[in-house]
Amino acid sequence: MTKLKHFLITLSLFLINLPLWAQAQQRFPKPEFETGYVQPPTTTPDPRALFLEYLDVFVLIAALAIVSWLALKKRSRSGIFWMSVFSLLYFGFYREGCICSIGAIQNVALAIADPTYVLPLSALLFFIIPLAVALFFGRTFCAGVCPLGAIQDLVAFRPIELPKWLQKVLGLIPYLYLALAILYVVTKSDFIICRYDPFVGIFRFDAEFQMLLLGGLFLLVGVFVARPYCRFFCPYGVLLGWMSTFSKKHLTITPSACIQCKLCANSCPFGAIEEPTPAGSNRKQDVKRFMVYLLFIPLWIGLGGLSGSMLHVPLSKMNKTVYLANELVENPELINDQEHIDVVTFMQSGKSMDELVIEAKQIQSQFYWGGWIMGAFMGLVIGLTLVKLSSHRSRQDYETDKTNCLSCGRCMDYCPVKVNDKMLIMSKK
Amino acid sequence: MTIPTKDKINIAKTIAWIASGFSIIICVMLIANYLQFKSVDPLESDALNTLVERLHDTPRDEALKEDIRALDLLIRKAYFTSQWQIRIGAYLLVFGIIIFILAIRYQNSLKSKLDELEGIEKNPFLDKQLARKWVVYVGAGLVVLALLSGFLSYNALDTYEPELIADSAVTPETTQPDQEVVVNEPGTESAEAQTAPIVENEVREQQESTTTETSQSETKTEQEQKTQPVEKPLSGTASKIVSQEELNKNYPFFRGALTNGIAFQTNIPETWDGANGENILWKIKPPKHGYNSPIIWGDKLFITGADEEARQVYCYNKNTGDLIWQVNADNIPGSPATMPQTTDDTGLAAPSVATNGQAVFAIFGSGDLISLDMDGKRLWAKNLGVPDNHYGHSSSLIIYKDKLIVQYDTNKGGKVFAFNTSTGEKAWEKVRTGVRISWASPVLIDSGEGAQLILSAEPLVISYNPDTGEKLWEVDCMMGEVGPSVGYADGIAYAANEYATLAAIDVKTGETIWEESEYLPEVSSPLAADGLLIIATSYGVIACYDAKDGTKYWEQECDDGFYGSPMLADGKVYIIDMSGKTHIFKLAKEYQLVAEPELGEKAACTPAFSDGKIYLRGFENLYCIGK
Repeated sequence: MTKLKHFLITLSLFLINLPLWAQAQQRFPKPEFETGYVQPPTTTPDPRALFLEYLDVFVLIAALAIVSWLALKKRSRSGIFWMSVFSLLYFGFYREGCICSIGAIQNVALAIADPTYVLPLSALLFFIIPLAVALFFGRTFCAGVCPLGAIQDLVAFRPIELPKWLQKVLGLIPYLYLALAILYVVTKSDFIICRYDPFVGIFRFDAEFQMLLLGGLFLLVGVFVARPYCRFFCPYGVLLGWMSTFSKKHLTITPSACIQCKLCANSCPFGAIEEPTPAGSNRKQDVKRFMVYLLFIPLWIGLGGLSGSMLHVPLSKMNKTVYLANELVENPELINDQEHIDVVTFMQSGKSMDELVIEAKQIQSQFYWGGWIMGAFMGLVIGLTLVKLSSHRSRQDYETDKTNCLSCGRCMDYCPVKVNDKMLIMSKK
Repeated sequence: MTIPTKDKINIAKTIAWIASGFSIIICVMLIANYLQFKSVDPLESDALNTLVERLHDTPRDEALKEDIRALDLLIRKAYFTSQWQIRIGAYLLVFGIIIFILAIRYQNSLKSKLDELEGIEKNPFLDKQLARKWVVYVGAGLVVLALLSGFLSYNALDTYEPELIADSAVTPETTQPDQEVVVNEPGTESAEAQTAPIVENEVREQQESTTTETSQSETKTEQEQKTQPVEKPLSGTASKIVSQEELNKNYPFFRGALTNGIAFQTNIPETWDGANGENILWKIKPPKHGYNSPIIWGDKLFITGADEEARQVYCYNKNTGDLIWQVNADNIPGSPATMPQTTDDTGLAAPSVATNGQAVFAIFGSGDLISLDMDGKRLWAKNLGVPDNHYGHSSSLIIYKDKLIVQYDTNKGGKVFAFNTSTGEKAWEKVRTGVRISWASPVLIDSGEGAQLILSAEPLVISYNPDTGEKLWEVDCMMGEVGPSVGYADGIAYAANEYATLAAIDVKTGETIWEESEYLPEVSSPLAADGLLIIATSYGVIACYDAKDGTKYWEQECDDGFYGSPMLADGKVYIIDMSGKTHIFKLAKEYQLVAEPELGEKAACTPAFSDGKIYLRGFENLYCIGK
C-alpha cells in the first residue's frame, strides 16, 4: 500500500513537473541550423527508483546500528573511523550529500508549516532515526554516519583545544543557524542549510567557486580545530545534542571504574570531556548566582524577541518576492530591464505592482512574528547557557559531556582500563 | 627484510609531503582553469558576438558565416576542454588529498604513543566565569547589533505609492517604436482633408483647454508638489470623451460603435465577387496575419498582424488601401522573449483594435497592450502578463468614455481592467472571481439606468459598472469554452455558448427571462435588434428567435459554419461564413435572402462598414467593397 502511495506521489510529482520542463524548453529555444543538423531529443534524468530510497534508509539504519555497537560494546575507535569512511563514500560521494539528516530539518519544518507540502518518507526517516538513536545511545550518527562529520574527521590532524569561553560563544551559532533555517523555511523563502552546505560541492565535484572555497576553508580550519562545522554550525547537532543529553547508554570513557589516571584529560579534540570538579566552591554564592541568571532568563527572552523582530526587514530581503519588490520600488527603471530575469518573470506573471508589494509586506509580517519567536528562542538559549555555566555539579571522575560528545571513541583508546579488566573485576566479585 | 619503523615514518612523511605538494599544484591549476573556464563561456564571447553583430549588417556574407562557425567551434572546444580539465583536476585533487591523509594516518599509527592535544591551563571555576562573561558580552552584542540593524535598515516598501512603477513603465521619450511611415499618395489628400479637420480641431481644442487649465492651476500644482509624492510624468494629454454620435459615424470597435453588432452606415453594397473583382475597390495583403476585424475612424482603417517575430499595428487609407503607417509593438517591458503557444485558428493577433479618434489601442496574444496616436506615434504600452490561454488571447478592446476596457480571462484567473486612454494608468481593475478562461469580448450597453459593461465567461455572465468596476449582477448560465460575446437590445442581454444555453437576461434585474438551447453559437456572437435575435452556429445554421420570449421564427442551414459575427446595417444582416461567403438577409420574421456574394477566400472576420463601403478581412487579404 505504501509502495503504491509512493509510486503515485512520484508519478504525481513527475506529471506536475512536466509543464515546467515544457516551459523550460520554451524559455531556451534550440537553435535551428541551416545545415540540416537534426537536434537530438531532450532527455531528462529518471527519478531515483523507490527501492534505492529505501536502500538509503536501510544503509542509514545499518550504519547507525554498527557504529552504536562499535562505540558502546566493541569500544573500537578504528572501527568507528572506518565506518565513517564508508559513510563518507556512500552518503557523501555516492549519494552526493543528498539525502541528508541535516537538510531534512527543513523538509520536516516545511511539512509542519505548509500542509500542502508532501514530505518524502525517506526525508522524515532520515530526520527521525538519528534522533531516536541519539536518545538511547548518544550521537553515534555524528561519530560514523554523517558524511559531513566524516570528511572533517579525516583532516583533523593537529587538533588544538579551544578555551571553554570560546567554545561556549561559538556554540551559540548552531542555535542561531537552526532558528534562521526554520524561519526561512516557514516563510517559504529558502532552504539555507542546503544552499550553504559547505561540503556538498566537494561531494559532487561541482559547485560555485565560492562554495568550494568555503568547503576548503572548513577543511583547512578542521586540521587544527576538529570538526568546526559539526561543533559550531550544524543545526542538526543542536537537536542531536538535546536527545543525547538524555541518553541512557551513552559512550563512556572507561568501561569500568575510573582510576583517575588523567590520561584521557587531553584526548578529546571537541572539548567534550568533563573533568572532576575540585572541592572548595562557595555553595551559597553558587546558588545566588544561579538564581540571578535564572531570573534573567525572561529578560533575555524579551530582549531576544525584540531584537529578532527588529531584524525582520533585513532578514526578509532574502525572500525573493520581498527582494524583487524592494528592487522595483527603489529602482522603478528596472521594470524596463529586459535582461533582469526576475523582473521579466514578474511582468509575465500578470501580477500588478500593488499585488507584489502587498505580498511582500505579508511576507515581511511573517518575518516580523517569526523574528520575535527566533529572537526569543535565542534569548532562551543564552539564558540557559548562562544558567548552566552557573550551576555546579559535583563530579569525581572524567566523564563525557553527553550533549557535546560526538561518540567518536578517541578517548576510549587513551583509557588504560580495558573491557577485559572489567570482566576480571566482575569475575572477582 | 623488515623496514625499520623510523624509515617507515620517514617514507610516510615524504609521501605526505609529495601528496600535499601535488594537491597544492593541482589546486592552483584548478583555480586558474576555473577562471579561464569562466572567460570562455561561448554565450559570453565578445569576439563571437561582434561577428554575429556584423552578420546582421551583411546577412549574406558566407565567409563571415564560416568564420563564425569556426570561432564558435573553437570556443566550444575550449569550453568543454576546460570543463573536462576541471573534472579530471578535481579527481586528481581528491586522489592527492586521500594519499596525503592516508600517509599522515599511517605515520601517526606508527608512533607508539597516542597523540595528545596541546594542553591548555584549565580551572573549572575560572573557565566558567570567563565563559559566562563572554556569553553575556556576545549576547548583549547580538542584541545591540540586531537593534541597530533594525533601526538603520531601510524598508523601501513603506515608501511605495500604488502604481508608481506602472506609471513610469513606459515613456515615449525613452521608448521609440519601430515605425514605418508610408507617404500618402497624392490622390488621397482630398479624402484625408474631408475628415481630418474634425479630428484636428478636436485635438487642438483639447490641447488649448489643457494649456489653459495648466496655466491656471500652475501655482496650485507647485504647492501640491511640495507636499505630495512626486508623480511620474504621464505620457500624452487628457483625452476628450467622444460622443456616441461621433462613434456611430465611425466604426470604432469590434461589432460596431455600440459593440452589439449594429452599424449605422447605409447604402452598403449587396453584391461582389472577390474572384473576378466585381465591386472590389481595392484588395491588399497585410504584412502579417491576424484574425482581427477592421476598425475605422475617418479615413483610417486599423488592423493588426502578428507572428513569432513581430506584433504590428497597421493603418490603411480606407479609400485607397494604401498603408499609411505600421508600428511594431516592441520594447514593451515584460513582453515575453518567446511568444506563447497559440493555435493556428487564433494566433497572436485575434483581438480587434479600438479607437476613439484620438488614439488607437491594440492588444496581442503576448499580453502586450499598446496605445498609438492617429499618426502611429506610441503614447504608452505595457504588458499585462502573458495570458495563459491554450488557443490564444482573443478578447477585443472597447472604450468607455476615457477608459480602455480589457477583458483578460486566462487559465490562471480572470481580470477586467479599465485603463486611462491617455496615460495608460489603471483606472480600476477587478479580479473576476469565479470565472474561468474566456475568448469573448466585452460589451457596453446603456440600460436606461446607466451604462453597463457585460462580460461572458464560464460559468458567469457578469455586469459591471464601467465607471468603477463595481459588479452589478451576475448570472450563472454559461459552460464550456465561451467564445461569443453577448448581444443586446431593448434592456435584454443575450448570452450564448455551444453546449451551454442561450439565455436572455434582464439587464436591470439580472434575471433570466428565457432560455433556449436548440441552436447555440461556438464563436459568433448573437445579434439582437427590432425584436428579433439572430444566432449563427459553427455548423452552419442561422436561426432567428423572438427577442422577447425566445420563440423561434426560422432557421436556415448553410453550407459552411460561422466564426464571424452577424452585423446589422441598413436593415440587412451581414454575416460571413468560413468559406468566405457573406450571407445577406433581411432582419425579419421570415428568412429573406438578399444575396450571397463570395469573397474568394476563407474568412472568420466580422464586417466593418464606412461611407457606403464594406470592409472584409479574409485569411490572406483585406478587401474594400463598394458600389
